[in-house]
Amino acid sequence: MNPDRIKLIAVPVVLAALAAAPLALGTGYWLGLATTTLMFACLAQAWNLLGGYGGQFSYGHALFFGTGAYVTAVLQVRLGLDPWTGLIAGTIAGGAIGAFCGALSFRYGLKGSYFALVTLAFAEVFRILATSVPFTGGGAGILIPLKVSPANFQFADKAGFYYAMLILFAVSLIVTLAVERSRFGAYLVAVRENEAAAAALGIDIFRVKLGAITLSGALAALSGVFYAQFFLYLDPHIAYGSGVSVEALLAPIIGGIGTLFGPLIGAIVMRALGEVANVWTDGAPGLNLALFGLLLIIVLRFLPDGIVGLIGRLGRRHA
Amino acid sequence: MNKRINRRQALQMAGVGAAMAAIGAPAVLRAQAGTIKVGVLHPVTGPLAYSGTQARAGALLAVEHINATGGIKALGGAKIEPVLADAQSKPEVGAAEIDKLNEAGVSLVLGPFASGIALATTQAAARYDLPHVVDVGVVDQIVSRGLTNTFRFGPGFGKITSTALENLVKINDAAGKPAKTVLIVHEDSAFGAGMAKLLNTELPARGFEVVDTISHATPTRDFTNIALKIKSANPDLVIPSNYLNEFILMARTLQQQRVRPKGIYAILGGAASNIKFANEHNEAAQYIMDCNHWYDPRKPVAQAFAKACAAKKIDLTYEAMLNYACMQVIGDALEHAASRDRKKVTEALAASKFDGHIMPYGPTLFVNGQNEGAQPVNTQILGKNIEVIFPDTFASAKAVYPIPRA
Repeated sequence: MNPDRIKLIAVPVVLAALAAAPLALGTGYWLGLATTTLMFACLAQAWNLLGGYGGQFSYGHALFFGTGAYVTAVLQVRLGLDPWTGLIAGTIAGGAIGAFCGALSFRYGLKGSYFALVTLAFAEVFRILATSVPFTGGGAGILIPLKVSPANFQFADKAGFYYAMLILFAVSLIVTLAVERSRFGAYLVAVRENEAAAAALGIDIFRVKLGAITLSGALAALSGVFYAQFFLYLDPHIAYGSGVSVEALLAPIIGGIGTLFGPLIGAIVMRALGEVANVWTDGAPGLNLALFGLLLIIVLRFLPDGIVGLIGRLGRRHA
Repeated sequence: MNKRINRRQALQMAGVGAAMAAIGAPAVLRAQAGTIKVGVLHPVTGPLAYSGTQARAGALLAVEHINATGGIKALGGAKIEPVLADAQSKPEVGAAEIDKLNEAGVSLVLGPFASGIALATTQAAARYDLPHVVDVGVVDQIVSRGLTNTFRFGPGFGKITSTALENLVKINDAAGKPAKTVLIVHEDSAFGAGMAKLLNTELPARGFEVVDTISHATPTRDFTNIALKIKSANPDLVIPSNYLNEFILMARTLQQQRVRPKGIYAILGGAASNIKFANEHNEAAQYIMDCNHWYDPRKPVAQAFAKACAAKKIDLTYEAMLNYACMQVIGDALEHAASRDRKKVTEALAASKFDGHIMPYGPTLFVNGQNEGAQPVNTQILGKNIEVIFPDTFASAKAVYPIPRA
C-alpha cells in the first residue's frame, strides 16, 4: 500500500487507540503518566516539525513551551481572563515568539549549531526575564487558583485532563500530517536536504524556515498551556529550564526524527523506560536515572534512525 | 437432602483445622493489627538530594521509634509502614508520585521539602482527599488555597521573616547598631525570590539600607563574581537565602576572596544550621547566624533524637528534625483517629493538640492548615557547634556579633 495512504489510515487508528487507553489505564497513576507523555509528545512533535522535517535543530524549545504556559497563567491571574482564551492567546504568543526568533536568526543566515545556540540563548533570556519582571511573579513563580470546572480548564478527574491533552496532541499530529502532505512540507524537506539546491529551484528559504519555526512555536506553546492548567504552578525554571528543551528533542531522536509517529513513540518509550528502570532498581535513589541513561545510550547507539527506522527496516526485510 | 459427614471427611476437616491453627490463625491475628501505610515523599535525587535524603532519614527514624514503642496502640499496635517516594526535585514528578502513593493505599503523605514541589503535591493529594503533612515548604500559598487536606507543621515565610527581622534588630541594637547597610543574596526559585522580595520591603522600614540584591540559579557552581560584587558593595551585613550546596560554596568563596562583613545573617540558610558545614568548612562557617527551623535542645525527647541521629550517623539538620517531628505528629493523629480512613485522619490532624514533639512550638494547633505555634529560632556556628542564640528561653549561647577581627 502507498505509504501516504497508510498514514492517512494510521492517524485516526492511533488517535482512537489513545482515546480508548483510559479503559486499560484506570484513573490513577498510569493515566497521569499517559497524560504527561502526550504533553511531551506534543512538544516533541513541535520540535520535529522544525528539527526533523526542516533540519533546523533547536536546543531551546522551552522558549515556546514556557511562553505558552506563562501567557495563559498571566492572563488568568493578572487579567482574570478564562483559560480557554488563554489557550488561544498562548498558542498565538508561542507562534509569534517563534516568528521573532526565526526572523532574527534566519535573516542573518544562522544555521546548524549556531542556530541551536541562538535558540538556547533565547530560552535563557526569557528565563531570566521571567525571573526579573513582576507580572510573572518573578522567581517565586505564579500560581493559578484551584477552581475545578471544565470552564476553567480544570477537571475533577484525570480522564478530563487526558482527553483535553489528547485533543491538543491530535491537533499537533494532524498539523504535522497536513504539512507533510503539502507543498510547504516538500519545500521544508528540500531545505533540510540541500539548502543551496532548494534556493536554486526558486524556493524562498527564509520564508519556509520562518513558517516552520512559527508553526513549531505555536504547537510547543500548546503543551506549555496544558502544563500550566494541569499543575497550576509555574516558575522560570519549570517553564524555560533546559530540561524542557532536552525532553523536546530526545523523544523524536529516539522515536524517529522527521517521521509522523516518531515523537509519540519516542515519548512513550522514554516514559516506559523510566518506569521499567524504576521497577528494576526497586526505588533506590538515583539508580533508575542512571539505568535510564544507560538504556538511552544503547538505543541511540544501535538505532541511529530511531524506532520508526527500525520498524521500517524490519518491514522491508519481511516484504 | 441429608448429608452426613463420614470419617474420612471429618479427618480431612480436622487436618485443615489444625493447619489453620498452625499457620492461618497467627495471620489473622497479624491482620487485626496490620500496618498503616504512610507516604514519605522527598526529593532524594536531583539538586535537592541532600536535603531530601536528610528529610527521609528523619521521618524513618521517627517511624522506627514509633514502631519500636508499640506502634499505633489505638489500632492494636499496628506498625507504620513507610512507602517511600522520590520527587526527583521536580514538581511534576512529585505530583505523579502522589498518584502512585494513592494507589499504594497510603493513609496520608509526609513531605516534600521544597515549596515548589509542595504546591503541586498538596494539590494532587487534594484530588484523592489524601491528608498531606507538609514538612518544610515555606511559601505561604501552600496553606492559603483552601485545601482541607493540607497541614503545614513548620512556620511559613511570613512568620519566619518577621521573627528573623525582629531578632536581627534586637541583636544589632544589643551590639550598638554596627550594621546599617545590607546586601541580599538569594537563589531565584520560589523560596529565595519570595524571601528577597519580602526583605526588600521590610528591611528599609527597620532602618537598614539594602545596597544590592543578587540572585543566582540553583545549582550555581561559581560564586566568584557574586563574592566580588559583595566586596565592592562592602555591606555591613550579608543576608543569604539559598540551598545547601550554594550556601557552602558562597561561604567558602567569601572566605577565599577575603570578604569580611560585620555579620552574615542567613534566613533559612541552606547550610548555616548544618552540622556537616560547621565541621567540614569550620573556618568559613564561623560566626554565621541563621534564623531557621531548629529543635528545642532542652526537651528530653529532642536529646534522645540527637543521640539516635549520632548512632545512625545522620547529620543533625533541620530537615531531619522537622520530618522526625512531623512523623511524631502523624503518629499522634493516627492514635486519635484510631483508623486508617483518610477522612478520620484528616479530622484528627485538624484537631491535633500534640506537644510531645521535638520542636520549640508548643502544642500543635492547625488553623486553615497552618500550625499556629510554629516558629523559627536563631542559631550561630560557634566553634564546631551550632548554638541556639535566640529566643532567650531556648538559647544555649550568647550571640557573637559583630564578627571579631583576627
